Amino acid sequence: MAVKLQPVQVLYCPVCSMPAEYCEFSPEFEKCKSWLIKNAPDLYPQLVQEAADKAAEKLDGLTVGGEEDGVKGEGSSSEPKKEDEVKRLPGGKVKKKVTFEDMQEKPEVVVEKIVRNKRKCVTIIKGLDMFGIKLSEASKKLGKKFASGASVVKGPTDKEQIDVQGDIMYDIVEFITDTWKSVPESAIYFIEDGRKVSANA
Amino acid sequence: MFKKFSSEEVTGQNQVKASVQRKIRQNIADEYPDLEPLLDEMLPKKSPLIVAKCQNHINLVVVNNVPLFFNVRDGPYMPTLRLLHQYPGIMKKFRVDRGAIKFVLAGANIMCPGLTSAGGNLDEEVPADSPVAIMAEGKEHALAIGYTKMSAKDIKSINKGIGVDNMHYLNDGLWKTLHLD
Ligand SMILES: [Zn+2]
Repeated sequence: MAVKLQPVQVLYCPVCSMPAEYCEFSPEFEKCKSWLIKNAPDLYPQLVQEAADKAAEKLDGLTVGGEEDGVKGEGSSSEPKKEDEVKRLPGGKVKKKVTFEDMQEKPEVVVEKIVRNKRKCVTIIKGLDMFGIKLSEASKKLGKKFASGASVVKGPTDKEQIDVQGDIMYDIVEFITDTWKSVPESAIYFIEDGRKVSANA
Repeated sequence: MFKKFSSEEVTGQNQVKASVQRKIRQNIADEYPDLEPLLDEMLPKKSPLIVAKCQNHINLVVVNNVPLFFNVRDGPYMPTLRLLHQYPGIMKKFRVDRGAIKFVLAGANIMCPGLTSAGGNLDEEVPADSPVAIMAEGKEHALAIGYTKMSAKDIKSINKGIGVDNMHYLNDGLWKTLHLD
């Protein structure tokens, strides 16, 4: 009798859904990158390098930015421009791309509703952990309050989030501010049509 | 073939009779002998086996709402890519060069030169009209399931035109259909 095969575990990208090694061929590759850096660094060493370079560049900008005028002229113009150099606006200001990571640095709670199969939907709550709230406990409370399935899952950027089955957008703000006094209403945001909207607007 | 596939294209789902279930199981075991020891779990005799009929004479073999195999008319059964990824050893393999990857992922059929160039590779024993896993240069996992239009030997010697029909590929409609309710 033939040997029973063991299933191979394939690392799938949560952004484009393909095996991580194929992300580079996805039209969504840009969006896959932050997940890849964390979860498949060995497949994309150049991405990790790029990210490290960028971080270093940012740091440089902060520390030596003021002396820039003095340093110029020493042949720096003849250096080939790096492709992913930070864009500078005419005023010399650095144009910074706002990433999801940046948004997450300031403690805030982001609530988003995802519709599946036309009727079923899931409400995603991100950021409660930024207020020192244990996600596992929060998920239990949410499940109880809304009588539905709630679970802590890894989000696309590897940050943990809570998924609650069903549409609880109407009651969620009040519940959060009542349950956890450390979260002000002004720190709660909704994602509506891809735009971030303050809950107390 | 599954480019625009969605559950809406399923024209009918039927739980098949025990005799039909046995036949499907036998066909799959004949085509993929290495899978045989797993078929008790994969296609359990006790849980219902559903055959979903779709447009273009495609049939999907569905267990517990998960599509596992497909075929066209009475043709050989082929695993879904998700199943093949779990058991990569069950199919014969062709490899396309890196340049061909983006075309395969757009649903294009596989041209002979993409298989015969330096980055490509052919299992010489594969005849015409048979299922084959499409691998890619520098990649570990399959990106498509193909059905050969010519034998591997002909692909090599003729080296022109379509060598393999692209049946199912990453991010096509079948790939996106994780569950069929
Ligand atoms: Zn990806």
